[in-house]
Amino acid sequence: MADLRVDLGKFSLKNPVMTASGTFGYGFEYAEFFPLDRLGAVVVKGITVRPVHGNPTPRVAEVSSGMLNAIGLQGPGVDKFLHDDHYMPFLKKSGATVIVNIWGKSVDEYREVAEKLEAEKDGITALEINISCPNVKEGGISFGTNAAKASELVAQVRAATSIPLITKLSPTVSNIGEFAKAVVDAGSDVISLINTIPSMAIDIETRRPKIANVTGGLSGPAIKPVAVRMVYEAAKAVKVPVIGMGGICNADDAVEFIIAGASAIAVGTAIFTNPMAPIEVIDGINSYLDRKKIASVKELCGTVDIRK
Amino acid sequence: MSHTGEILSNEVLKDKYCRAVFRAPEICEKAEPGHFVHVMIPSMRDRILRRPFSICHAGGSQLTIVYKVVGRGTEELSRLKPGEKCDFMGPLGVPFSLPVEDEIPVIVAGGYGAAATYMISERSKNKGYLLLGARTEKDLILTDNYKNNGFEVRVATEDGAVGTKGLVTVLVKELLEENKGKNLKFYGCGPHGMLLALGELLITNEIDGELSMDQMMCCGIGACFACVVKVKDNNPDGWRYARTCKEGPVFKASDVYYGRT
Repeated sequence: MADLRVDLGKFSLKNPVMTASGTFGYGFEYAEFFPLDRLGAVVVKGITVRPVHGNPTPRVAEVSSGMLNAIGLQGPGVDKFLHDDHYMPFLKKSGATVIVNIWGKSVDEYREVAEKLEAEKDGITALEINISCPNVKEGGISFGTNAAKASELVAQVRAATSIPLITKLSPTVSNIGEFAKAVVDAGSDVISLINTIPSMAIDIETRRPKIANVTGGLSGPAIKPVAVRMVYEAAKAVKVPVIGMGGICNADDAVEFIIAGASAIAVGTAIFTNPMAPIEVIDGINSYLDRKKIASVKELCGTVDIRK
Repeated sequence: MSHTGEILSNEVLKDKYCRAVFRAPEICEKAEPGHFVHVMIPSMRDRILRRPFSICHAGGSQLTIVYKVVGRGTEELSRLKPGEKCDFMGPLGVPFSLPVEDEIPVIVAGGYGAAATYMISERSKNKGYLLLGARTEKDLILTDNYKNNGFEVRVATEDGAVGTKGLVTVLVKELLEENKGKNLKFYGCGPHGMLLALGELLITNEIDGELSMDQMMCCGIGACFACVVKVKDNNPDGWRYARTCKEGPVFKASDVYYGRT
């Protein structure tokens, strides 16, 4: 049995496997499949100041080796999240390590959510700032493609809370290293990437977009090589820990991200197909480490050999 | 929870409609009318999502689904041979409630919606009606099975080839007219537009009903918020999006939001 504990600076996790925000609901939905405290962390679906309806349907479409989604961050709002049984109170009881993904339409809204979570932070291990959702008109990705705006946003959230901060980056920037540096300089303790890739699919019979929002975010195995490259570049650029995600379906995928430079990883779309995927990934990473006689997963991080 | 289901038979029922029978005792044990299963179809390596199917029949260890070949997933499903296996999640969702006391079941279905409501005709102690709407004669399925269960079957086709020409709501209006004062319990399953029309018609007549609704589905257990429909809510907008996989697929007609915004 290898040592699976990982150190993410201001906090540590019992293993490197998390759930990607938006693919695991609020934990409650998957608790009948496995105990949530087996995960490195549960990352909940994006939390906003006020409840959000989300986008019209269809919200998802399947494409080759992946899917598009434009859910539009439907959610209960921070007050309900903190107090309704099915959300934070349930997660606390479950013993899960909880990371709260936050989102807003403006800097003020992000700050307000962070302040509310700061006021009731018992049981919250970290916040993940979502500056990369491609499916909402305001906020989200508009911060994720402008380094100056992203820095300002992270600095404001940093000022509002002492909870460790993760910033989730968009793949739609030309220099991910520079972008990662900017949010770290602004106070982000960890970075996570990648969010979905803005994409489109059209029904050729009707000539209608396959999702109502016209465009959506691509996820699943189709995006994995893009994500591995960006994790590699981001990890080289910053000294803080990197959480890698994008198309991870099994332990081999997870190990590839760790070798590329990720300290921890998140399983996302694969959960829809196989709810047990995160647990299988944990067990599979352990088997890999044992097979390679590596004592700790920390030793594997960033060990890609790029010698010519 | 997921289970393995072995295909016992998989045959064309009529035209593009097929019937697959699986050995899936764990699911059959819990299945109620209106439940669905979320199926991983093997042999589609580049397709990552499961496909939801309403349970048509669950008896002993045999689980039946009736499906129409409409795309890649159902094409692949139709090619599976006895002995092959699929991974199932289920039974999932909120089921229909069976008629009680003197309630007469009235099932209003569009096309293969008749498959999702079929177990009502099997399990209801009171016999009633199937009002089935379809585009053409080719899209009328399971009518003999309903008749064998003691249900009176009335059909409407859009081209008028069989039964009444027009939409199924015409049949609903006729039935309401004939059965004034009777205790009718309405069930609906079919295209979204049909269900909204049916729901509004029922509400206008001060009757409630149970409607099985769906949208393009993803996780099947309420986590991803893909498969939503509008339901009434006491927020300032008067509605919210509810997940058909978890809060449905069966909704009370009186809970559905009919506004066009």
